[in-house]
Amino acid sequence: MRAAFSISPVALAITLALGLAALPAAYAADNDEAALRAEVAELRAQLVELKHEVQQMHAAPAAVAPAVAATASAAPASVATLPANADAASLPGAAPMQSSILNTAASATTLYGYGEMNYTRPTKDKSATQADLARAVFGFIHAFDENTRIVSEFEWEHAVASADDQGEAEVEQLYIEHQLQPNYGVRAGLMLIPLGLLNEHHEPTNYYGVYRNFVETAIIPSTWREGGVSLYGNTEFGLNWSTGVTTGPDLSRWDPTSPEGRESPLGSIHQELQLAKARDPSVFAAANWQGIPGLTVGGGVFTGKIGQGQPGFLANNARLLLGEGHVRWQTGPFDLSALYTRGTISDTENLNLTFIGNPTPVPKSFWGGYVQGAWRAWEHDGSAIAPFVRYEEYNTAASYEAIPLGLGVDPLVTSKLWTAGVNYWLNPNVVFKADYQQFRNESDRNRFDLGVGFQF
Amino acid sequence: MHLKSFHHTRALRRAHNIFACCLLAFASIALAQAQSTTPPATPVALGKAIFFDPSLSVSGKMSCATCHDPAHAHAQSNALAVQSGGAFLDVPGFRAVPSLRYLNLGIAFHFESDGTPAGGFNRDGRANSLLEQAERPLLAPHEMANGTHAETVARLANASYADDFRRVFGNNVFDDIDGAFFRMQFALEKYEATDPGFHPFDSKYDYFLAGKVKLSAQELRGFSLFNRPDKGKCLGCHPSTRGSDGSPPVFTDYTYDNLGLPRNTAIAANADAAYYDLGLCGPFRADLADHTDLCGAFKVPTLRNVATRQVFFHNGSFTTLTDAIRFYVRRDTNPEQFYPLDANGVAQKFNDLPVEFHKNVNTSEVPYDRHPGEAPRLNEDEIADLVVFLQTLTDGYDALSNTADPARSLNK
Repeated sequence: MRAAFSISPVALAITLALGLAALPAAYAADNDEAALRAEVAELRAQLVELKHEVQQMHAAPAAVAPAVAATASAAPASVATLPANADAASLPGAAPMQSSILNTAASATTLYGYGEMNYTRPTKDKSATQADLARAVFGFIHAFDENTRIVSEFEWEHAVASADDQGEAEVEQLYIEHQLQPNYGVRAGLMLIPLGLLNEHHEPTNYYGVYRNFVETAIIPSTWREGGVSLYGNTEFGLNWSTGVTTGPDLSRWDPTSPEGRESPLGSIHQELQLAKARDPSVFAAANWQGIPGLTVGGGVFTGKIGQGQPGFLANNARLLLGEGHVRWQTGPFDLSALYTRGTISDTENLNLTFIGNPTPVPKSFWGGYVQGAWRAWEHDGSAIAPFVRYEEYNTAASYEAIPLGLGVDPLVTSKLWTAGVNYWLNPNVVFKADYQQFRNESDRNRFDLGVGFQF
Repeated sequence: MHLKSFHHTRALRRAHNIFACCLLAFASIALAQAQSTTPPATPVALGKAIFFDPSLSVSGKMSCATCHDPAHAHAQSNALAVQSGGAFLDVPGFRAVPSLRYLNLGIAFHFESDGTPAGGFNRDGRANSLLEQAERPLLAPHEMANGTHAETVARLANASYADDFRRVFGNNVFDDIDGAFFRMQFALEKYEATDPGFHPFDSKYDYFLAGKVKLSAQELRGFSLFNRPDKGKCLGCHPSTRGSDGSPPVFTDYTYDNLGLPRNTAIAANADAAYYDLGLCGPFRADLADHTDLCGAFKVPTLRNVATRQVFFHNGSFTTLTDAIRFYVRRDTNPEQFYPLDANGVAQKFNDLPVEFHKNVNTSEVPYDRHPGEAPRLNEDEIADLVVFLQTLTDGYDALSNTADPARSLNK
C-alpha cells in the first residue's frame, strides 16, 4: 500500500521542474539585478584589496591565494554569491579552505581538518547499537604562488586501521590546481568527482543528518574520487563548471558473492587511485548555475568504459553512464533541496552469465532521488538550530540484463525512507546532530542516530 | 676511383659476413635437429623422466604416473579406494589418490587470522610445497617403498637419464646422497609447475568464462545450484568465480572440512576397529595431534576434473559423483542410506570418527545443515543438473564434439 506522501522518481522530477519554474518568481523577488551585480563587484573588489594587504604584510604568498581560487572554482558556493544572511555552515560548497579565506597566515600553507563521531541505535535490534569514530581527517593547502596550489586530504575511517581492523587510512584528495585566468584553471591529481550536492562538500557541518544521505552514498558513491586532469571555471552570469578526464571504476573487481555490490554498485568497484587499472579513461562534466542569490541549479554526468581491457574479461565493453540533476534554494530561514541521479551499466549479460546463482550480479540500472527541507529556526552569534526533514528513494539494482531460464535474480525493491532530525551548530564549525530514520518497507533498518562533527 | 675501390672492398666484406652468418645459422639448425631426438637436459625434462620411471621403485613397476595417470587428470585410473605398492605391489595404502592437476597453485599450510587452517599439500596438508610432497611416495612402504634417500639415489644413479642428471646438477651430484635426492624433488616440482598438462585451464567452463562457448540449459541450472546460497552453496568452499586478479577459479579455497564420511571397509587399515584416519590431527601428521577440534578435517580439493574420478573423498567411500553429491544433501535427512544400522535400526552416523570427535563434523553450513524430516537441499533432478555442471570442469574440452578428456590437455 502506498502512503499518501510517496514520492516517485517522476514526482522528484516534477519537484525539480517546479523548482525551475519558481525561478522567475524568485527572480522577481530579487529583480534588482544591477544592485546585485554591484554587490558582487564590491565583494570582489574587497577580496582584491584584502589580497594586496596580505601581500604587503607578508613577503610570501599567503592563504588568500586559495581564497581567490575558491571564488573561481567549481564549488557551488563561491564567495561572490553568498546571500547576505547566510553563513558558511549552512552552505554546500563551504569547501575546507573557505574557513581560512580571511586567514592571513604567515605561511603559504593552510592546515584544515574535520571529524565526526556517530552513535546509532537500530530501533528493532538494540543489540546492533553502535558508536563509531567515523572519520578523522586533516589536509593541507599549500600555495606555491598566487595561481598555483596543492590541495590534499588525508583520512582515517573507524578509528583504527590495521590488518586486523576494519578501519581505513586513505588519501582522499591530492591535486595540483593552477589558475590560468581569473575565470578558469586546471587541476591534476586525485580529485573528488563533482556530482551531486554532497560529494565535494562532505564535511559534517555541511549536511543535515548524522549520516550522509543514502542517495549520495549508494548511487553516487561517497566520497568518490578519481585521478586525472580537469578544467574548471566560472562565467559572469553565475555558472560554475568543470570537466575532466579521469580514471574510472574497474568492473573486473565485481564480486557477485558479496553484498557490497548491492549496497553501492559503484562504491564496490571504484579504485580510489590505488594501483588503478587505467586502460579506459572516463570523462565527466558538471555545472552549477548560481545566478540568483541563494539558488543553485546544477547537474553532471560521468561516463566511461569500465572493463579496463582486462584479458579474458567478458565485459570489456561495459560502459558506465551516471547522470544527476539537483536544485537547492536557500531563502530566508529555509534551505530546500532536491536531487535525482540515475546510472546504467551496459553489456553485462555475458559477465552475469558467469555469476549465475550468485546473489549479486551487475545491475543494468540504479537510481535514487531525495527532497529535503530545513528550517533555520533559531540563530544567535554563530550558533544555530535547524530542524530538517528528508525523503529518499533509491534502488541500487533497479534492473538487470535478462538471464535465460529464469536463472537471473529479481531487481531489488526500492528503498524508501524518511529522515527527520535537527542540526545544532554550536558555532559555524562545530555541529551536533540527532535524527530518526524510518524505512517504509524495511522497518528493521529504522534507527535513531546521534552525531557530533567539526571542521576547521 | 679510389672511392669506388673502397666501396667495392666494403661490399665484398659485407658479402663475406652474410655468408658467414648463413653458415652459422645452418650449422645451428643442423645441430638443433640432431639434438631434437633427445630432449635437452633441463630440470623440467629430468622431472618428467623421473615422473614416468618405474625403475625408481622397489617393485620396478611403480612410477609417479602409475597412480597419477596423466590421461586420468593425473589421478588414479581405477576404481579402488586405495592403491597398493611395496616390493610386490601388495601393500595397501590408506587414502584415495588425489589429482595432481592445479596443485602448482597451492599454498603452504598455515592458520588464517581467524584460526582457520588452510593450504598445504597431501590430504592433510603436511607437506608445504610440491617439492616437499615429492619425497613421501618415493619412500613410503605402500608406494615406491625405497625407505631411504640412499636407496632411492642408488636407483636414480642407474637410470637411463643419470648422465643428464649429472649434466644439469654437476658431475659429482651422486656423491651427496641428500643433495641428489633434493634435486630429484626439485626436478619433479619443476615439471609439475611448468608442464601445462598439469594446469591446462581448457575445460568447457574455462571456455565459458572466456565467452567462447555457451553452457547448455541443464549446465546453467546446475551452475546455479552450485552457487545458490540456499541450494548447493558449493562455492562456499569451491569458489567458482575469477579471483580479484582475474585468475580463473581453481574450485578450492584451500581450507579443510569435516564431512563425517562413512567408514570404508575396503581400506585394509579399517579392519582394526581402533584405527581412525583423522586427517589434520593424525595419524600421518603429528604436529596438530593436540588440536582435537581439527580431528576428522581433510583438505578441500579442487573440483576440476572431479567428473573423471571413480572414487570420491579421502577414503574413497563413494564411487559415483551422483552418490557423492547425494551424501552432501541427504547425510542428515536420510542417514540410513549411508551408514550401517545398529541393533536398534538406527544409523551409526559419522562412524569413521571416534565418538568424541563427532562434534567436529560440519553440520551448520548449507547444504549439510538439515535435520531428519526436512527436505534435502537438492532433489534428484537437481543433483542430476549439478552433476552435468560438474562435468564442464573436465580438462581437454573439444567444442566440436562437446566432449572433454583430460588426456587431450597433454603435450600442448
